Amino acid sequence: MSRLPITVRIAALAALLSIATAIALAALIWQQTHEDAIGVLRRDAAQQTDTLATVHRTGGIRALDAAIAEISADDRDNSLVAAVVDAQGRRRIGVGPDRLARPLRPGFEIGVIGSGEPWSQSEAGVELRPLGRDYLVAGRLLNDWERTQRAIERALLWAVAAAVLLGVAGGVILSRYVARRVDRIADVVEGAAAGDMSRRVGLRPAGGDAFDRLGARVDGMLERIERLVGELRVVTDSVGHDLRSPLMRLRSRAEQAATSGDPAQRDAAIAGVLSEADTMLRMLSTLLEISRAEAGGAATFRRVDLAEMLDELGELYAPVAEDAGATLEVALPAPPPDPFPVHRELLSQALANLIDNALKYAPGTRIVLSLTAAPGGGMAIAVADGGPGMAEAERGEALARFGRLDSARGSPGAGLGLALVESVARLHGGRLILEDNRPGLVVTILLPAE
Amino acid sequence: MTRKILIVEDDAATAAYVAKGLAEAGFTTEQAGDGRDGLFLASDGLFDAIVADRMLPGLDGLAMIAAIRAAGVGTPVLVLSALGTVDDRIAGLEAGADDYLPKPFAFSELLARVSALLRRSGSAAAGGSMSTSRLVVGDLEVDLIARTVTRQGRQIAIGGREFALLEYLARNAGQMVTRTMMLEKVWNYHFDPGSNVVDVHMGRLRRKLEEGMEPPILHTVRGAGYRLAVDR
Repeated sequence: MSRLPITVRIAALAALLSIATAIALAALIWQQTHEDAIGVLRRDAAQQTDTLATVHRTGGIRALDAAIAEISADDRDNSLVAAVVDAQGRRRIGVGPDRLARPLRPGFEIGVIGSGEPWSQSEAGVELRPLGRDYLVAGRLLNDWERTQRAIERALLWAVAAAVLLGVAGGVILSRYVARRVDRIADVVEGAAAGDMSRRVGLRPAGGDAFDRLGARVDGMLERIERLVGELRVVTDSVGHDLRSPLMRLRSRAEQAATSGDPAQRDAAIAGVLSEADTMLRMLSTLLEISRAEAGGAATFRRVDLAEMLDELGELYAPVAEDAGATLEVALPAPPPDPFPVHRELLSQALANLIDNALKYAPGTRIVLSLTAAPGGGMAIAVADGGPGMAEAERGEALARFGRLDSARGSPGAGLGLALVESVARLHGGRLILEDNRPGLVVTILLPAE
Repeated sequence: MTRKILIVEDDAATAAYVAKGLAEAGFTTEQAGDGRDGLFLASDGLFDAIVADRMLPGLDGLAMIAAIRAAGVGTPVLVLSALGTVDDRIAGLEAGADDYLPKPFAFSELLARVSALLRRSGSAAAGGSMSTSRLVVGDLEVDLIARTVTRQGRQIAIGGREFALLEYLARNAGQMVTRTMMLEKVWNYHFDPGSNVVDVHMGRLRRKLEEGMEPPILHTVRGAGYRLAVDR
């Protein structure tokens, strides 16, 4: 069995809800008012019928006629109905229309009971009961209050009917509206599935309902997918491109090793093969770290004493800097900050990359590794050098994977350094900032508060 | 007595490569193709060390280690894995592996690490390295309690991280240790710092140990690592 389409179900649900509400309201009103007037009328009619039936049983039709005449005399507002009609509804005796207009069905009913004054003027509530081959009819014309009641009841009936119509119409409109909103999001998602990543649901300027929020989430997701796909494409291209040259070198070294007759030359060529292979392995493992850092979450974070971590890095790199003719200083805030949740290894690696970069691109200068408290409870770790710095236009390019500035093409390195640093900053929910050190470059990793 | 090493590796080419290299280095090897066989062989406790792949059919490598440890067998385990990121390595070590080597690896690195594992478990069995207060390598003495270093009777000022580095080398005296091993064990960094960081520190340590003294004691093993020993 196939299920109804969702829009039909929404329409049906909306219609049912509004109809049910209307009926429940009508029933409540009816129940509250009906008892007041119509209930009394019904009881009166039944009582009168009982009395007249008893009179008829004991005294026959004559006694009944007399009794009706007696009651009629007391009836000041001429509302009494009390008659005996034959099987065709014609009045035999009593007070009532000449011909009864209601069907000869035993029980209490309200309605116009006949033509001519005063019977056609107003509805009457009458009880009908078989009396031999005839019928006994008793009750009275409705008074003003009771007529109002009847009007209310009729209005309620109409209201329910209108509610049914409006409910169905509302359901259809609602389902159309929902379908349109959903279709808009679905179209964008479908387009993305088909490969068009550029389309967006579009944001409402302010506020926004659940659909807007869903749309915004979808947009955010597409934004990230598009960026990742774009990066992936760039990476695949650059991996292809940048791995080509070490592979070519590897191949030529291997060729030398294979063809060289001189053992010393062959050994040197083989050593070259190994070192080229190591370079490529290092590039690949850094790439893996980057993608892991970008996919990872805060689950791997531990509280680390950042001052101690920077001291250790300074200690590790100070001799390296010294050998390269540079100096490396570590500047820490006066009371050391509380342990901060970070991924120690990746953050250390990121900082090692920054120091390495500074040693490479700003040789012989003073390098400062500093830790400062950032506003809002975060921490800022910066590596500053006194080298040539970086032109503003080059900074974005420097962050791209494999991005190596043209001015740096001459020196060795895989060009993954800053991309890893940026990924690590992002993993921590932070940012990477490149600034002018006048002269030189300051690279700051901003770690936001937890 | 030759040392016996169990190789648990499902990739036949890698298993053969490791077995051949270890046999050439003078070890006896035995191979298991999956975690269940590995666990079965290892639970006898007859091996001196285990080299296990992390991803194994039947029983995962780390689960196998846990089972071996649960059976009360303390044989040191070196885990090989294609999962080489920092988090993977730390997870491996936390799961009970004694050392973790990401694939692909240089055989010299594997050999150095296996040797270090054997040495550590050997000295632990022979009275425990914890109680050792002095390490002696030829004419070099490292006092672990006073934290002093003397060579040929002359005291050498070595402190801090450098002392830890020397201690690590001295504990593995005669054996080659690689740059990554030192970074892991001395600095507790599981990443590759890229430049010649370790070499710079080793150069400084060598100058202190060998300045004005013969013969050289800290040797460079070309393309692989370093070795602290009196012989050449």
